[in-house]
This record gives sequence, structure tokens and C-alpha cells, in this order.
Amino acid sequence: MAFAMRINFVDVVCDNSLKNVFANGKKVGYQFDIRLSYYRGHFLSVIDKLALKVDGEEVPADDISFCLHGKEFGVSQLHDQVSEFWRIIEPATIKVFKNGGIAAGEHDIDVTLMFHSPYMPISDTDYMPIDGCGNKKLTLAEF
Amino acid sequence: MSDIKLGITLYCFTNEYCGDSMTLEDCIRKAKEIGAEGYEIVATQMIPSYPYVSDEFLGEIKAMSAYYDIAPICYSANMDRGMRGDRNLTEDEMLQMAINDVKSANKMGCKVMREQFLLSPAALVKLAPYAEAYDVRVGIEIHNPETPNTPIMRDYLEKIQTSGSKYIGFVPDFGLFATRPNKPMWDEALRAGVPVSILEMARDMRLNDVSWDDAMKKLGEAGATGPAFATAQGMWGFVQFRENCKAELKGLQEIMPYCFHMHGKCHYLSEDLKEASIPYNEIMPVIAESDYKGYIVTEYEDHNSGNAVEMTRRHIAMMKKLLGR
Repeated sequence: MAFAMRINFVDVVCDNSLKNVFANGKKVGYQFDIRLSYYRGHFLSVIDKLALKVDGEEVPADDISFCLHGKEFGVSQLHDQVSEFWRIIEPATIKVFKNGGIAAGEHDIDVTLMFHSPYMPISDTDYMPIDGCGNKKLTLAEF
Repeated sequence: MSDIKLGITLYCFTNEYCGDSMTLEDCIRKAKEIGAEGYEIVATQMIPSYPYVSDEFLGEIKAMSAYYDIAPICYSANMDRGMRGDRNLTEDEMLQMAINDVKSANKMGCKVMREQFLLSPAALVKLAPYAEAYDVRVGIEIHNPETPNTPIMRDYLEKIQTSGSKYIGFVPDFGLFATRPNKPMWDEALRAGVPVSILEMARDMRLNDVSWDDAMKKLGEAGATGPAFATAQGMWGFVQFRENCKAELKGLQEIMPYCFHMHGKCHYLSEDLKEASIPYNEIMPVIAESDYKGYIVTEYEDHNSGNAVEMTRRHIAMMKKLLGR
């Protein structure tokens, strides 16, 4: 993608949000929170791309869930969420399926999140692309 | 005889709200402190139950209105035609979205709603009976680079006049009257190391109506780099300017019977209360001498400055001074 607008008031990857996810008492993955990089909220259907690299390694799209309002959506399901509204001051949670969870210590979280601004047409059918990406090192505490 | 009220849009505090340093209540309190008689709210920005107004949120708003003695007076809607990735919303879908917004505006007690131009003139006319029933006047925002004289706005004007409805009209944004380059963007370019000669060259080409393609070419030949092009993009985009705004003020006079809300856009106000690129001293007499009845809300837009509170305060002070209050 060529030019994309960036409007950012807050870190996309939220501090101190990294945790393991448990099922049946065992670690089955991890999660962290992200914020929308813009000045207003959006329906999730405006998201054009969501991808994740952790410690330099691409996470398979099938293993990523986008969680909001007590609901979980796979990356492939986001385009259909035309009534799920992500507020500008509301963190969403990204959950990653990874059997065994993630090790304690520091991890490089690199989120690719591209969306379009649905009221800013750049042609009859295309809208201003917005760069909502974020990168941060998050630490999972030992316990 | 005009009856102008001064308000502010809470959008002025975008940086503070989105960056978590001001809550909605902080924004409302600050609006009151600064001297606003009412406030505008961008629904997609600050209404937690968007696209609806929940009873819980309404209760909070009413409590704050009573406590701070200031109420929402304009519901600012967005027309998200491209909200689906696979296709544009249809006219019917956009009309339904606007009807829902009218209901939300009414629920919050707003008598005015800002709508965006992706809602077609025909759909705006279809919205009129709903606007009337709910007693919410819906105005299409005229935002730079549009002016009251541009073809799309002339189309709205014709449809509004033919409809005979008093409930559909315009919300002019004063950015459309700009006669100088946007100061924050100019200053940012200077900070990024862009030579002033390049900026002046871009400014002069803009004033001479050089096309974007030709301007890009000439700027490139003169050695312009990324930050210079970014500034130029504004000059040919949403912060255009011209030698003077006489034609635009004439256009404003023509649409004035259909105006019931206005955006007092500002990007930078000096200590002696002058807007850097928008000639308020020319705009305000035209409005003051008309029969305009409604709010002019301060809309400060240089979110990254961190100066929103002070700039909003200066803008209100300038408006009072120009209105002789």
C-alpha cells in the first residue's frame, strides 16, 4: 500500500497488557490489548488488514482473535462486523492461540492494522487508507 | 437581525480525549469554563453506545448538563459510506443511517445535526420529514475545499429550495474562507527543514491555481522532499486558500436562509486574537448583519499542538470581541 494517513494520539499496543491465556489449567496462548489509532471510533468492518509478528515471527492469521465487547472474531470474520463499533478510547484484546503459552520475559509485539476512513472517499469506491499499526516491547512477569 | 450564540465542539479536545488526559466530563466542564453556551459532540468520537444513545449515557449527559449548566446543542454525524469493505452503502442504507442519527440527536436534546456530503441531496430531501417530526434540523457541512459556490453545494441548495423544508440546510465551516496557508502545517514543514522558499513557491502556485500535478512537478524540480509535499497536499486538499474570500462570502449570504449552525474553524490564534489564515474580521460582519439565528461553535483543529484549551479560549475571546460583547 502506498500512501496511508496516520492519526495517532495513543500507543497502539497497550502497556502492561501481556498475559497468558489458560484452558483446563494449561497455557493455550497469550493476549494483549490494542487501541485504535484515529480520532473517532469505527465499525470493525473498516479493517482491511490485521497481522501480527511476535519476536520477529509471523503469527498465522488463523491463530489470531480480535476480542471486543465479550465477543471474539477471527481475522477472516472482521470484514463482516458492520454493527460492532470499536470506540476510540476502548482497548480491544488480541488473543493468540499458542499451545504452551508465551515465556516470561520481554517480547516484541508488532501489530499491522490497516483500515480505511469510511467517510473520506479517494475515488468512487476507495477510501483513505489509515495506518493503525503499532510496535512495543511488552514484558510478561515471572510467576 | 442576527442572534448568534457561541459554543464549542468537544472535538477541539480530540488530543486530550483520545490520549486519555481528559474524560468526556472534563471536556464538557472545560467548554463551560471557556465560556461556551452549548456544545457540539461528534457521535462516533464520544458517544459510548454509538450508533445509539443508551438511556445510561443519556442519564449521564443530563446529569452533567444540570451540574455544569451547559447542554449538547449539535449532534455531529458521520456518513460512513465506505464502512463495508466490499461495497459502498446504498442510498437507502445511508438514509437509514441518517434517520437513526436524527433519532439519536433528538434523544440527546440536540436541535441541530451536522451531516456529511456523502448523504446525497436526494437522500437529504428524503430525510426532511424525519428531521421535522423529531425537530432536528440537519445541515450538510460545507468544508474546505467545498464552498457555497462549488457544484455539489449548488446541487444541495437547489434541492433544499425545491423541497421547501426548513429542516434541511447547511453547516458552513469557516475554513472555507481561508486566505492564507495553514500555519501549523507551514510551521511543521519549517521544523522539518523545508526551506521557506519552497513553501512560498507552493503558496504562490496555489494562489495562481496551478494544478496539483504541475505543482508536484515544479516542486520536485525545485528540490522539494517529503515534508514539503505533505504541506502542499494540504494546500491542494482540505486547507486550500485563495487571494480573498469575497466570492465565498457572497455565496454565504445566498445560503444564509438555510444555515442554522456554523463551525468557527481555527488552527492558530495569536495573543492579540487573530486567526492565522481565516479572515474572521471579514466573515463576522456578514453574519452579524444577516438574519442568522444559531450557534457558531469553535472548532480548533491542530490536535498535536497540545494547546487546545488555550486556543479554544482565544477563539471564543476573539468571537466576543468581533461581536462587540
